[in-house]
Amino acid sequence: MTLTTTRVNTDNEPRKEHRLLVNEAVARLALRTAGTYLPLDREDRPYQWSTTTYCDTYDWKVLRAEKNGHATQLRLREYHRTRPNEVLAGESLFVEMKDDSPDAGMKERYVVPTREVMSYLRGERTIVGGPNLLVNRMHELVKIGVRPVVVTQYNRIAYSAPDGTVRITADHNLMYLAIPWQTNSDDAIPSRVGPVIEREPGVIIEVKWFEALPHWADELYGYIREDMVNERPSTYVVAMGHLLGEPEPSA
Amino acid sequence: MTLSSVNTPKPATKVVVVEDDPASADVLQRRLQANGMIVSVGRDGGEGLALVKSIVPDLVLLDVMLPDTDGYDVCLRIKSDGNTAHIPVIFLSARGEVVDKVRGLSCGAADYVTKPWNAAELLARIDAVLAQARSARPPRLEKPSARPERVRPMVAIALSNSVRRHRAQSLLGGTFDVIEEGGQAADLVLVDAGGVVPADLADDETAVLEIVGDGVAPGPDAARLDDELVRVAALLVRERRITRDLDAASDALITLATALEGHDRSTMGHSERVASRAVAIAQVLGLDESAVRTIRLGALLRDIGNAKLPPALVQKQGELTASERQLVERHPIHGEDILKGLAPLRSILPIVRSHHERLDGGGYPDGLRADELPLEVRVVTVADRFEALLVNRTDRRAVSEQEAVRILQGAVSRGELDPAVVAALAAQVRSAEANR
Repeated sequence: MTLTTTRVNTDNEPRKEHRLLVNEAVARLALRTAGTYLPLDREDRPYQWSTTTYCDTYDWKVLRAEKNGHATQLRLREYHRTRPNEVLAGESLFVEMKDDSPDAGMKERYVVPTREVMSYLRGERTIVGGPNLLVNRMHELVKIGVRPVVVTQYNRIAYSAPDGTVRITADHNLMYLAIPWQTNSDDAIPSRVGPVIEREPGVIIEVKWFEALPHWADELYGYIREDMVNERPSTYVVAMGHLLGEPEPSA
Repeated sequence: MTLSSVNTPKPATKVVVVEDDPASADVLQRRLQANGMIVSVGRDGGEGLALVKSIVPDLVLLDVMLPDTDGYDVCLRIKSDGNTAHIPVIFLSARGEVVDKVRGLSCGAADYVTKPWNAAELLARIDAVLAQARSARPPRLEKPSARPERVRPMVAIALSNSVRRHRAQSLLGGTFDVIEEGGQAADLVLVDAGGVVPADLADDETAVLEIVGDGVAPGPDAARLDDELVRVAALLVRERRITRDLDAASDALITLATALEGHDRSTMGHSERVASRAVAIAQVLGLDESAVRTIRLGALLRDIGNAKLPPALVQKQGELTASERQLVERHPIHGEDILKGLAPLRSILPIVRSHHERLDGGGYPDGLRADELPLEVRVVTVADRFEALLVNRTDRRAVSEQEAVRILQGAVSRGELDPAVVAALAAQVRSAEANR
């Protein structure tokens, strides 16, 4: 079989990542500051829509692992200029595996032709692994059966150091949506997204860094923490909390 | 022959303006009304959304900075509701930075106009947006309350070329009554290949036949102007009539199922409530009309198999013994047996057979698992369990709608029910609650 997958992004070491819910005024100030020191991320168009389809097993193994503090997320990410009503609809998408731990995470992402993505979820195709073994963890999940369970959509504006050591993003209009999913067959895609389960009331600021934050970013991070509404756990955990009607989880 | 349209006055354009500044809203309202539009004003996001939901206007003019939320959020809510997603939105805002415009347009707005606006420019943009929206939406056909039975079917010939119209008329005149004018729905409309069906000649029951050129091979629902035309046209009309007759037969079965319901353990009207709820869920999920029809019919007839159970068992109140439960759990199989002889009802058989199955394989009668359960079945299963929780039974008391949703969300956690279907139910309950 010819592999048409391309690896585009791999973390070689764990990256610290904090998610904070803030109001619009704090977000604007944070973005102005970040924009003073960092360029707009050249891979992210400002305010483009990011649509992420999260996968889990029928008995919620990923979610349970998240709640225990250490999970490997499997998600399918797409980017659009305007908000789409369908997922898994374009020519290609990013298959992402994310090791999500309380204080540090690693991520691998691969471009996959959309028409082939179901065969990966069925285990008929496999991605050639990266150095962090996240691909192997994906294979383990696929073996026990995963399928899309929930979708998030938001517009993101991202500032990032050219060497990738610091990245500050703001997600506006974050929405959690259900996805009516029956089977991982090829004709299941594209899939219309289901109802909006919940919306975030403010802006999610994410600060990601490898070793230490530069002084200005450290000060900004402190300011955001002082003025935040609250700290947010993994987006997937929040989405599933809303989907399952569970109380708002704390970070 | 000339097909003349019935002259009906063009309805006025309905606009909802969401603007918190009374002076700005007033100026805008006067300007739009002076141009023949019907304008309603919402003073904040919540009021604006309520107006949009109740009026379903042709256009929304939306301020970005609102007292209770921002215009982007209001726009997203409009665009993510199936009933309002088609309505074009124009932002009117003093925020004129590029990022604000990009954000507004990326939320699904059709245009973004900065304040202070120029009246001529704003009206021109409104006209352009409305024209685009109208051309994007096919006209909806109103279904008549009842169509009179006729001995000879009626055909309307909406072909653009007069020679071809006369040819079609001479071919069909012996079998069909040809309608000369619009205003009544025909049984069959002939249109050019790729042509538009005139709305005043058709309704949901009208068959449409495309007429292709002489050298072109006709596809499905298409024919050439030759001796085969009468046969193809008659066949198409007959198919439509059969479908209508089957609808009537389905109605009779539903009446029977409803009558049986009065004698069994469920409460009177339960099936109708399950069907209404299932349809509401299907609509929130954005399922197409055909799937919604299947779901409604399947929900209404899902328990028809109870007719084959001993009446004493069906009527029994209180706890069932193990052997009685075994018998009761065969009612989906009996239901399928009753209906499987009716070929047109084939699409609802999975609902009848499997509406007590669970995604984790713990249901009955076949212990099917997730991949084997179509979405239509999952919708009816959730609606059935939800409605059952809302009524008193001998072994438990009724719960509120909110509590019933929480109970079903628990069943999602345990892997029994479809998460998206229960989420759609929760959204539908929340929306109904907000409208009360």
